[in-house]
Amino acid sequence: MKNLATFFSIFFINFFIYADQLYTGLDEQQLKRLNHLSDNIRCPKCSYGNISSSNAPISKDLKEEIAQMILAKKTDDEIYDTMSERYGDYILLNDVEKRNPLIFLAPLIALIISILVVTIYTIKKSK
Amino acid sequence: MKKIIVLLTAVLLIALVWFFALSLNAPKISNVKTQEGKGLPSGFELLKLNGEKVNETELNNGIVLLNVWASWCITCLVEHPFLNELSETYNIDVIGINYKDKLGDAIRYLDKNGDPYIYSIHDYDGKYALKLGVTGAPETFLLIDGEIVKHRVGEVNQQVWDEEFSNFF
Repeated sequence: MKNLATFFSIFFINFFIYADQLYTGLDEQQLKRLNHLSDNIRCPKCSYGNISSSNAPISKDLKEEIAQMILAKKTDDEIYDTMSERYGDYILLNDVEKRNPLIFLAPLIALIISILVVTIYTIKKSK
Repeated sequence: MKKIIVLLTAVLLIALVWFFALSLNAPKISNVKTQEGKGLPSGFELLKLNGEKVNETELNNGIVLLNVWASWCITCLVEHPFLNELSETYNIDVIGINYKDKLGDAIRYLDKNGDPYIYSIHDYDGKYALKLGVTGAPETFLLIDGEIVKHRVGEVNQQVWDEEFSNFF
């Protein structure tokens, strides 16, 4: 029992020391930005998933690099640009729709054109 | 009018099938972009495993083959005999980037498995490799006058060499 208590004490002390050492210097707002950016950047070494959810060393490195960029007052777009310039647009997850609206509007445009064509054809036929 | 619509639908359908058939053979869009066309990152003071300073102009002149490796990397161990062969048989100069490794482990690894590198850069924290666009080990970069002309993510073996690198030598 005493050994178990010692083990858990060491584990939790180490856990908090480790968590405390990460991304030092970021305030609460900056940490929120870091989490948001990390949620929207794909792990380049993994098949799926963002760098927040990945344990790959490259994901940890990228998160640290993003933290440094936040501290250096880079905007979100500048950070996304740095990442996509290095790894390609593949690295960008959710925010990509804001950056390439045409890709996501294309199906809607196609639908509107189809409806127009069918409507015009039906009206002409009924005459 | 009806005939035109039927014809247009048929053409559209054929175009769609053709487009999807082509996309089956297209390279996967999920691949991370390689670093071809770029140069080496600057602003780093690079040290060799023996502690000597790396002359960066050396890396930016002529043909340079850079191989990212680590003693903890299993695929690097698989790749290593081919790198030995490259340096011994083909007489090609290979420069290593020792990635996120302990100095002692790296030296022991080379002592045990042979050293195909003219020297290895000790990138102990992986920061140089990160800026270079490395996502893990092994990766290999071929540079001509400072420009990356080939970037291989993963192992280089005889087949990969013949297909992707040999025509540069």
